[in-house]
Amino acid sequence: MTSDESVIEQWLHSCVRCSNCKYVFREYFPSCPAGEHFGFETYYASGRIWLAQALYKGDLEWEPSLLDPIFACTTCGNCEIQCLAPHSEHIVDMIEELRARAVQEIGGLPSHIRFRENVVQCHNPYGAEHHNRNLVETHSLPLQAETVYFVGCTSNYREIQIRDATISVLKKAGVDFTVVDEYCCGSPLIRTGQLAPVNEAAQHNVDAIRDAGAKRVVTSCSGCYRTLSRDYPKLGIDLGVEVMHITQLLKELIDKGAIVPRPTEHRPTITWHDPCHLGRHMGIYDEPRTVISKLPVDLVEMETTRENAWCCGAGGGAKAAYNDWSVETSRERIEQALRTGAEFIVTACPFCSRNLRDGCSEDGPPVIDLTELVDRFI
Amino acid sequence: MVSLKEKFERIVGADHVSDGAAERYVYSRDMTENPPREPQLVVMPSTAEEVQKIVRLANEERVPLVPFATGQSVGGLTIPQVDDAVIVDLKRMNKILNVDEEGMYMVIEPGVTFGHVRKYLDESHPDLRYTYAISSPFTSVIANALLQGLCDLSTRYGSMAEFINGLEAVLPTGEIVRVGSGILGDDNWFGRYPLPDLVGLFTGWQGMTGIVTKMALQLWPKKPFTRHFALFTFGEFMTTDLLKQIVRADLAEDAGALSFSVVKALIGMPAPIEAIEGEPDYGTFLTLSGITSLELDEKVRVLKRIVDRSKAEEPKNLLIPFEAVARLMSEEAYGWVDFPSDSFKQLTEYDGLTWMGTYIHPKNWGEALFKGRKIVEKYGYELMAFLKPMKGMHFCEFKFIIRFKRDDENLKRVHQCNNELLDLALDLKAIPYKTPVWSAKKLHERADPNFIELVRRIRDLLDPNGIMNPGRWGL
Repeated sequence: MTSDESVIEQWLHSCVRCSNCKYVFREYFPSCPAGEHFGFETYYASGRIWLAQALYKGDLEWEPSLLDPIFACTTCGNCEIQCLAPHSEHIVDMIEELRARAVQEIGGLPSHIRFRENVVQCHNPYGAEHHNRNLVETHSLPLQAETVYFVGCTSNYREIQIRDATISVLKKAGVDFTVVDEYCCGSPLIRTGQLAPVNEAAQHNVDAIRDAGAKRVVTSCSGCYRTLSRDYPKLGIDLGVEVMHITQLLKELIDKGAIVPRPTEHRPTITWHDPCHLGRHMGIYDEPRTVISKLPVDLVEMETTRENAWCCGAGGGAKAAYNDWSVETSRERIEQALRTGAEFIVTACPFCSRNLRDGCSEDGPPVIDLTELVDRFI
Repeated sequence: MVSLKEKFERIVGADHVSDGAAERYVYSRDMTENPPREPQLVVMPSTAEEVQKIVRLANEERVPLVPFATGQSVGGLTIPQVDDAVIVDLKRMNKILNVDEEGMYMVIEPGVTFGHVRKYLDESHPDLRYTYAISSPFTSVIANALLQGLCDLSTRYGSMAEFINGLEAVLPTGEIVRVGSGILGDDNWFGRYPLPDLVGLFTGWQGMTGIVTKMALQLWPKKPFTRHFALFTFGEFMTTDLLKQIVRADLAEDAGALSFSVVKALIGMPAPIEAIEGEPDYGTFLTLSGITSLELDEKVRVLKRIVDRSKAEEPKNLLIPFEAVARLMSEEAYGWVDFPSDSFKQLTEYDGLTWMGTYIHPKNWGEALFKGRKIVEKYGYELMAFLKPMKGMHFCEFKFIIRFKRDDENLKRVHQCNNELLDLALDLKAIPYKTPVWSAKKLHERADPNFIELVRRIRDLLDPNGIMNPGRWGL
């Protein structure tokens, strides 16, 4: 990263530490999972920005005690929504640049380094045996298709019910799709400042998608969606195809009549959790709600929703490095969900699904993906 | 050998103590030009008992303590003045403990902010209101009251310290004390009198006399009929004279006057904002209210008559209903008068913010504003004066706000500018408020030496080991 491209340098003199980033504007709910938990000024966006500035200017020397304030952040972006200063929409970028500099100067956190090594060796952060292409055979998919379903590592190796529901829905809707020999999109690496292996993996994905003759890529992972849509262009990677999130495609399929939900006797009450990478990072709030409105369910919103939604706690490498705090954060969201009386918590991100489930007690509402919900009704 | 950090960890838990480089850096400075100094530790207690243990430990170890609530003082007031200090960050003490509807007061902890009070009252006690400052919504209510700050009821009632019914504090020697009627029990925080008024042992002391852990503050019934107006005026003397007439007539609940540059910032003009020849010099937001519409209408009629009369001297003076302002500038404008803290966002342009603010005799108000403006213009900063008639016109407030980039050149220039503004203020016998140390020292040079000696003696009596915020207020 060159000095000319530094977003920290660009906004070196813009944060007055007014604290607006800490709470939802005019609602005064907490907005920052890290600040709420750790409490020190350094764990809020404003503190991190001042650290970034100090390190950039050389007012502060790099040392290991800086790692927690730099990495204990879900990069959920709620601070960007609440901040009223000129740099507001660049806060997450500043934090990610700070992380990249930390990795360069003093190395990253051990758990993050582990999944970087896994991505390099196994093409996924979990170190699982790379088997993505087997899905073609298992599901009798074509070698080439108009749509590539980019499964994502978490759906493929951990939250496989999301992968299976997505494939089921796409098949039922008659979508011409396939899966490719995808590598990790790079999101976990970009979020944790480990940029070195990203371009190679990204280029592999570009080639695989091109070889499939696809015109569009659809992801069921909000993190992959953000990365393919926003981060690849910044890295100079051109996928050359349209990138969609499954919630957008589901809306399109319902609008076209390719998916027709069946009526049911019991209309369950559900609540919707906005994944940060889908909502705040990509501005997708309405599509999932439109899809839900077409299903035989009743949606009850939580007290923080859309732009102001409380984060599930899993993002930005927080789940890997700070699991206790990450799960504690998800419990806050579960509490909000419980107050709605919903029978299900529905979301559209495998990281959110996993962490919300981890935060749920045994008698808490089941957490399911929107694709699973749709699949039940078609 | 148990380290100091471990000793604090035993009191508040390991998660709530840090000696990390990040914490030492961020707590060493604020948005102002005041010079930084690193603390050795930051500790975050959650109860008065933990604060008490911290203070006792500090006495045993002779460790200086610096209280920190939300760090929004705009005066460098949470920056340690000596080496090896321990910052006591009170934000975990953030409970609204009680609202007494009949006695019209609330009891809160130091981490409670204006925003949280506003939300809580609107939801749980909608007939009552508190009073709000033009500061970040996330400023500590207790800190602002202790520092005698101003708010949107100051025009009628004075500085926020006037609203304190009583408080609980941990003295520098570790005792937990109460002052005010709350000495007779938790449900009895109705006032400060008739008692020796020891609230004054804590207000204006900038954390040198103890750590306040609880405070009872007055609330007011919301008036059923309220209207807002914007008054645009020309010239410092004419503007202050007109405000004096309006406030002495007891018409306005609030009258906050701003340089027109600030008004332009509020409507979204980008920085830096320059004055344009012929535009008004000041915009004043006025709040009028009444128990009946008749009372309010009559106040409005008298207000219009006073403004009309002023046109004999300045025909361009203009009074417009706030609805017109909102139509011009968006509905957001109501937030500026309804909850002034919302308008603070206009001051978040750069990483630096400072002001030189004072309370001043009404006879010197116009002159201070006129000469202060020349100083700010000389230094080339945006003209961002803020003035408020205080306590029914018994005294006045003026300050010049400077938003700036915190680079070396600006830090120096801003300090020089504030220095000149302070000299002007002291020449006019104004008392600087929320004083940084350099400013307090200048005040000492001109003040009655016996007063300074009395302050010093009281401080030494309460804090024999000199652990509470040493060096603060130039002592």
